[in-house]
Amino acid sequence: MFSKILVANRGEIAVRINRTLRAMGIVPVAVFSDPDAGALHVSTAEESVSLRGRTAEETYLNIPSVVQAARDSGADAVHPGYGFLSENPEFAWACEEAGLCFIGPAPESMEVLGDKLRSKEIAERAGVPVVPSSPQCLPGDTAPGTFVQRWGFPLLVKAAAGGGGRGMRLVHRRSELDEAMESASREAQAAFGDGRVFLERCVANPRHVEFQVLADRYGHTIHLGERECSVQRRYQKIVEESPSPALTPDLRRRMGDAAVAVARAANYVNAGTAEFLLDPGTGEFYFLEMNARLQVEHPVTEAVLGLDMVEWQVRIANGEPLTLQQEELQPLGHAIECRIYAEDPYRDFVPSTGTLLRWRPAGGPGLRLDSGAAQGQEVSIYYDPMLAKLIAWAPHRDVSMRRMEVALSQFLVLGVVTNIPLLRAVIGHPQFRSGNYDTGFLEWNPSVTRPLVSTSTRGTARALAAWVAKSRAAPDVPAPAVGDRGAVSPWRSAGDLRLP
Amino acid sequence: MTRGQGELQEMYPLEGESYQYRWEEEDGSFILALEGDVAEGQEPSVTISIDLRDTAEGICRTGSGRTFPFAWAWIGAQLHLWLDGDLHIFRGFHPSTRSGRRRGRASDPKTSGDVLAPMPGAVLEVLVSEGDQVEQNQTVVVMESMKMELLISAPRDGVVSRVSVQVGQLVERGMRLLELAPQSSLPADELPDSQHQDSP
Repeated sequence: MFSKILVANRGEIAVRINRTLRAMGIVPVAVFSDPDAGALHVSTAEESVSLRGRTAEETYLNIPSVVQAARDSGADAVHPGYGFLSENPEFAWACEEAGLCFIGPAPESMEVLGDKLRSKEIAERAGVPVVPSSPQCLPGDTAPGTFVQRWGFPLLVKAAAGGGGRGMRLVHRRSELDEAMESASREAQAAFGDGRVFLERCVANPRHVEFQVLADRYGHTIHLGERECSVQRRYQKIVEESPSPALTPDLRRRMGDAAVAVARAANYVNAGTAEFLLDPGTGEFYFLEMNARLQVEHPVTEAVLGLDMVEWQVRIANGEPLTLQQEELQPLGHAIECRIYAEDPYRDFVPSTGTLLRWRPAGGPGLRLDSGAAQGQEVSIYYDPMLAKLIAWAPHRDVSMRRMEVALSQFLVLGVVTNIPLLRAVIGHPQFRSGNYDTGFLEWNPSVTRPLVSTSTRGTARALAAWVAKSRAAPDVPAPAVGDRGAVSPWRSAGDLRLP
Repeated sequence: MTRGQGELQEMYPLEGESYQYRWEEEDGSFILALEGDVAEGQEPSVTISIDLRDTAEGICRTGSGRTFPFAWAWIGAQLHLWLDGDLHIFRGFHPSTRSGRRRGRASDPKTSGDVLAPMPGAVLEVLVSEGDQVEQNQTVVVMESMKMELLISAPRDGVVSRVSVQVGQLVERGMRLLELAPQSSLPADELPDSQHQDSP
């Protein structure tokens, strides 16, 4: 087994990986940018190496820097987490060349699957249905013309190397296409170092359901069930659950088989996720892409199956056989995950920066918090605004929802604006509770993204604000006596009070 | 009992106009009373009691017996208040920023000639007449608002050039109660004439 692993990431996922590594008796090595020097992902590691610089490009996306850090630290292996370099085959190659084990699929399968178009070809060959799409192109290319002619609008512009909703645009009319391709390409270039895009037919109101796959080096490939990820804003998931309320046992079996078939066809090793669009009306599903990495929402799978995915990633990378059998994997209960972002849900989700003056997550039965945030920490403009993931498990879906509601209401954050009120509104929404929702959930329910403050809450908030304001105005001085015009309280601006 | 008044503006999640209020505190009970017209969705008066856990966190009980945890932090002039799971942001006003914030309002009470009603209410007494010499901080008008009296004082020394209200009259916030003659020591171009016309 490895004795030391460099975690080439930051934030909650690096913290989460550090924890598993330590539990396995492996020394985690953190890398950090200048703004992250005091971050939780550094303090939860046992060793750390500075990647000098501030931006992601200078640090966590800097392949020579990260590989050098791994070498300097004497690590055996590198865990890339998600995002950053996790799906970059060049990074996997560079690790191999440096004699480091890359914890993930082989670079060859990353190259094939990380490319959304090539992964679709593989799926088609494996007999799995896919959403029609154009060949890859760059802004200004005429190539997508035939695709547009055939399928029309609306359509999606996607980054060939994309993921996490980055480099993705919904286009309603031709006049918007060029600009959408340009901005998607720019975003993809910045996020993945690869500006290629393609056009994809837009399936109306689908559900987004994905299957977790695990495969060892010896050809044993299984799936770990599904995750329902239909609550999204700007193609970015904010709430995930497992099992999906949309799947019948038969559909679950067919989609799971399809996920395994794609993984096998790509000679896939380690953990991956097959994403599908599901038409809830017809039960038809389309393979979208294979994410060749650990997924943000993997904890809901861990919760219902009672296993540690990172541990399996490390074991598989270490050459151990996958001892789990498909038949024995029966999900127990229900798990839901909420992604807590430093962003304003009522102002078009603009990211919020500042210092976490207060940060006190809630606990309780069946709750798990994966977080890279800590009180006193600066939430900067440099990185993703996700602060934490809150996961609630319970024997039944409705109980997991209620546990989540309580935990969100007790989650104390001051210093930045978060999306917690939106998450509470989603979890409390009757349509979400019914399980009958699709990727248009936020669009169809605009009330969820509008503030709702009851009269009594507003009154209480105002009274508290007044109390705090007067305490600040005269912290040590008792409020002035009647008719005392000499008092200095700045709140007494107009005159003095006396009882009639 | 202590009491006072203040002005806040709701910034988040609802953004509203600034509002003025009075407060009263006695035996652990804190009463907020909004000034002026109370719109739908607002409670004109709220009574809470507060127990602090540490310097910026505590428990708030309302009149109906509900108990809410709360915590707060000041970020500049913004008060971030976490109340039972939700964030409320207020902006506090300091008198020195208050006048600059309102367009056309006298920017410096020391030089302005206007004495304005700080909140809506009734004029109980007018203690001066036109031509009277007044001193800074001398009470010139007594108003009543929400069962409390409000003593309006002169912002500076001067001569009352005009009394704009009568006893018993109902006035709106910002309405001119009386006017002080320009101070002869001021150069003419600093006279706040234009401000008079802009007054709400």
